[in-house]
Amino acid sequence: MKPFAYSRETGLDHALARGKEDGVRYLAGGTTLIDLMRLGVEEPSTVVDLRALPLRDIKADGDGVQIGALATNTEVAYHPLIAKAYPVLSEALLSGASPQLRNMASVGGNLLQRTRCSYFRDPSSPCNKRMAGSGCPALDGYNRSNAILGVSSSCIATHPSDMAVALLALDAVVHVRGGGGERAVPMGDFHVAPGSTPAVETALQKGEIITHVTVPASPFAQRSHYVKVRDRASYAFALSSAAVALDVSGGVVKSARVVLGGVATKPWRATEAEAELVGKPPTSMSFDAAGAAAVRGAVPRTHNAFKVELAKRTVARALRDLVGKA
Amino acid sequence: MVAPHVDVSNDEHAELLACRSLVTLRINGRETKLTIAPWTTLLDLLREHLDLTGTKKGCDNGQCGACTVLVDGTRINACLTLAVTKDGSEVTTIEGLSAGDQLHPVQKAFIERDAFQCGYCTPGQICSIVGLLREGRAKTTRDVRELMSGNICRCGAYANIVAAIEDVLTEASHTPDGEREP
Amino acid sequence: MKNRLIGTSVPRKEAFDKVTGRARYVDDVSFPGMIYGTTVRSKVARGRLRGIALGPGIPWDEFVVVTAKDIPGINAIHLINDDQPCLADGVINHPEEPVVLLAHPDKHLLEKARQAVVLDIDELPAVHSIEDALAKTAVVWGEDNIFKRYTIEKGDIAEAFANADVILEGHYETGAQEQLYIENNGVIASYSEEAGVTIWGSLQCPYYIQKALIPLFGVGPERARVIQLETGGGFGGKEEYPSMIASHAALLAKKAGVPVKIIYDRAEDMAATTKRHPSRTVVRAAVMRDGTVVGLDIDFAIDGGAYSTLSQVVLSRGLIHAAGPYSCPNVHILGRAVATNSPPHGAFRGFGAPQSIFALERHLDEIGKYLGIAPDEIRRRNFVKPGQTLATGQVVRDDVDMNVLLDRALEAAGWGDKKARFAVENREEGSVKRGIGLATFLHGTGFTGSGEKFLASIVGVEATADGHVRVLAASTEIGQGTNTIFAQIAGDALGVDYDVIQVGQPDTAFVPNSGPTVASRTCTIVGKLVETAALGLRQTLLGSGLLEEPYSSEQFVKACSAYVARSGELRAYAEYKQPPYIKWDEDTFKGDAYGAYSWAVYVASVKVDTLTYEATVEDFVALQEVGKVIHPTLAAGQIEGGVAQGIGWALYENVVWKNGRMANDRMTDYIMPTSVDLPPIRALFAESPYSYGPSGAKGIGELPMDGPGPAIVNAILDAVGIGIPRIPATPEVVMEAYLANTSVTRVCRATEVARG
Repeated sequence: MKPFAYSRETGLDHALARGKEDGVRYLAGGTTLIDLMRLGVEEPSTVVDLRALPLRDIKADGDGVQIGALATNTEVAYHPLIAKAYPVLSEALLSGASPQLRNMASVGGNLLQRTRCSYFRDPSSPCNKRMAGSGCPALDGYNRSNAILGVSSSCIATHPSDMAVALLALDAVVHVRGGGGERAVPMGDFHVAPGSTPAVETALQKGEIITHVTVPASPFAQRSHYVKVRDRASYAFALSSAAVALDVSGGVVKSARVVLGGVATKPWRATEAEAELVGKPPTSMSFDAAGAAAVRGAVPRTHNAFKVELAKRTVARALRDLVGKA
Repeated sequence: MVAPHVDVSNDEHAELLACRSLVTLRINGRETKLTIAPWTTLLDLLREHLDLTGTKKGCDNGQCGACTVLVDGTRINACLTLAVTKDGSEVTTIEGLSAGDQLHPVQKAFIERDAFQCGYCTPGQICSIVGLLREGRAKTTRDVRELMSGNICRCGAYANIVAAIEDVLTEASHTPDGEREP
Repeated sequence: MKNRLIGTSVPRKEAFDKVTGRARYVDDVSFPGMIYGTTVRSKVARGRLRGIALGPGIPWDEFVVVTAKDIPGINAIHLINDDQPCLADGVINHPEEPVVLLAHPDKHLLEKARQAVVLDIDELPAVHSIEDALAKTAVVWGEDNIFKRYTIEKGDIAEAFANADVILEGHYETGAQEQLYIENNGVIASYSEEAGVTIWGSLQCPYYIQKALIPLFGVGPERARVIQLETGGGFGGKEEYPSMIASHAALLAKKAGVPVKIIYDRAEDMAATTKRHPSRTVVRAAVMRDGTVVGLDIDFAIDGGAYSTLSQVVLSRGLIHAAGPYSCPNVHILGRAVATNSPPHGAFRGFGAPQSIFALERHLDEIGKYLGIAPDEIRRRNFVKPGQTLATGQVVRDDVDMNVLLDRALEAAGWGDKKARFAVENREEGSVKRGIGLATFLHGTGFTGSGEKFLASIVGVEATADGHVRVLAASTEIGQGTNTIFAQIAGDALGVDYDVIQVGQPDTAFVPNSGPTVASRTCTIVGKLVETAALGLRQTLLGSGLLEEPYSSEQFVKACSAYVARSGELRAYAEYKQPPYIKWDEDTFKGDAYGAYSWAVYVASVKVDTLTYEATVEDFVALQEVGKVIHPTLAAGQIEGGVAQGIGWALYENVVWKNGRMANDRMTDYIMPTSVDLPPIRALFAESPYSYGPSGAKGIGELPMDGPGPAIVNAILDAVGIGIPRIPATPEVVMEAYLANTSVTRVCRATEVARG
């Protein structure tokens, strides 16, 4: 690991001021940053530790819930407010990483998690995300884990988070603080597809800090579910995942959320899939149609072509399980 | 212990190399003050600065669980933890679980159930289990297996590890001051 | 001799140290003045090395730098053909090939320096598959890319194929597999002119390393000492590769004048060290309508990587196991180990047998499916019986009845009930289908053919001053229980308590060469020597007048102590003698390939989600006949562990190759089973004592690797009607087969041959 200076901040304003300096990286749980620093992908000259900031509370917020950015994945997953009212969020968190890593990883850090693309993680390899204009070896290289949705000719790196997929399905809002004050960014706008600037992954500006996430009450939150298909039963990243939520009344779907993980460059809301569900009874037929709609426009490559079919079926599986379980 | 190197080609770098932080940790019940480089992980601090080599390095990337220790009672991967960030914390390693020849109940259960083969993942497994017991969320065998999935055992001693955990859970549920509600 | 310890589950000798963190592995040890070593490796698969440049920004004068020209003796890692250099000199044959060694006290600077070394290499065309190697798209080794070719002939294969009702052909492939011991490879070396080289390390075979150091340094064995420290798993991965690391550390230590430690990090260990040989097998079977296999024509090829290392031995074991526990009268097996430009593949539990057994056991199910004969039934029609011959012409002497083993395993697995239940449930709507599959197989104990005779292993036992008895053997404890079973065997031979027996640290300066810790030989072959040596010591003591029968453990200890006080030392040795019946012809591959076999029936129950293509093993029954079980708990642990690795090989563990290099060299990208991925594994034993093993024990360590692959994939066939031809059966492999609706005729060419 390349040497760096370290400081721990206890006040948000001071921490924000530090963020303006060159070469500064904020540290929360460390499960992404320390890993990437050891690989030489991240080489900050200063690490500013945010963990002493008072941003760890999980509390009711009107009919919804407010989650501090420093709350650990474990704290969120098992919190009574979350586990009961937002099962999809709890399930997504518990499907990720290991108990030890969930004890470390924070909500803010999870939102900013970096891709597992092996070319990104290897500093000796070209990568447009790491070094603009250096090229993307994944396009024609080994791309089994890479994305089929939201891709560009610059980057096909998959967004690895499970939690973010669930938060998007729940219409969550990310609250950030910066020099210019506070702003609220809907989850749908928080992550951005790579386009021609793959280094830009989120709407977060330099020097801004995520303070908390709010999750509103919604008619479908409680009837929500996360399904993750991976190479083994636990402690593995998604090959394909789906966060689904349905509001059903009178035997008809009133509103729906279908969000894909593991197959896209950002948490991927499949609005066409949702449209297939709304106004119809929740049946296997409409679930299959939703699955097919979810992957419309997918761009498969040599080793990840199976993800098109898999993602389709993951959506169908999640919806079937959801209805079966309700 | 490794001496810091001075890179003559880069002044700023050299300045960074001089960075040292004082950390105070309570390790296995003993207060320990150390001056360390900020990039020292908790794992390297234990192994290289304190010769507490019971905690193992299997992947150094949070992918195997061999380095699991307890920080303020919570199980974490020591390889992805900067020691400076744990200033003021209580750290428990495998060396801190037994008192002389007096073994922790999990250690006893490991011997009784033969819950290890090569022994390299064992300290991490045992610390992880102590954390799991404290969390109190493992109700079924399936829970135990899922909540131990962060500790890889290539020898495949999983069945005996699970049996050892269930022995301790059963024992604890029969003990009034056990770590788990009956 | 009475068994009081054998057959019981005494605690492991090293249990206390391992659960308290006191056990010292190589990275837990350091010496005064010790510095760290690292390896600069080739990034290209094949080429001509034109130069080595030490790049700017590094204080190179602080470094110890070693290249091929610093090697005092022969630049080779001594094994069989000695074609693998210790450090590349002029020619590069695989990615990650070691070229330059560096040492420095500061690990961080060392890593920076490693990256600053520039290797100037002219790339040459490389070969990356068995097919390309055989087609000689480029010649990268010898004249034809073939390290070794063996054949086995039995009966008249042409006539069998001319007269068979049906000929079915199948192509099967198995992938590379990383051993992934949790402790990475590592050694410490020191050097002095007086003592020569001393190695401390994580390793399976101390004498292999000694034999490699002798020509490399041009020294005698007395100046090449190897000491095994606690070893965090091997599985074959620490059989031959530690000779490489030890050689490197020793070269650095000689030049540095201080001890040098080399510990690989995980990515380096995964990318640069050995793996299980990838294989492809073509099985052509001549079959009668009733399911009798009258002819087997097998073409078995393994990818050995860039140097020959142990590939010919792996090939021979694969070949001998290729025709399974069946009596087929006409057999032709061609085996070839080929060269490609990847790091050499090497020893891994099973050693070639799992690969060829996968093909045959898969193919039997395809034959059964084609003929409408159940998987258990088709095997019953072909099992070999005592007195009949295996493919090498070896007469089966073991008292084994595979039908009885099969009955017991099927009953334990609930075969009949599950078959009936799954047939009904699988017809219902829903995406989850279930199936049950089996594999029947054997595994030879010890070295192949005359291997044990040539090894001529020796074991000693000695009395200590305080009257304990110490076993002296080079056989290493790597988690499988060597120390514990040796103590049981010696304890029973001497008629003393378990605690009286100690097991000496494997150190070539103090223990005789009992051979490598490989090939399921430690318990049977070396254990028998422990027994014989212990009986010799007992005889001496009884003859000394210090001990009389009957005696207690305490009386024995007193007598031992008195003997040492009187005579200075009390030692006894035993040397391997081949059982008299063994006859083996290395050239024709005819005769007694192994002194004994272990026999097994494995049954897997599998769930396949046809929506997501995930296959999960739900239940596993592993029944084996292994002679006398010395330690029931350790034996079950060996089976459970082997089955776990077999499940990984079958479903999860996929080494992805990019120009001959492992692309997924991380534990998040190379998927091995966690606690959640394993079903209940029920290890069951049948015991038919083998007269040349200690108390009748046969080999056990590798056997469990053989069965899970075919049993699981056969269960997938049962569940969804799809025969998967290659493993690992990852979701995309299952999906591909499922969507293509692969049928038997796709996997196998079926030909009706007119009779007469």
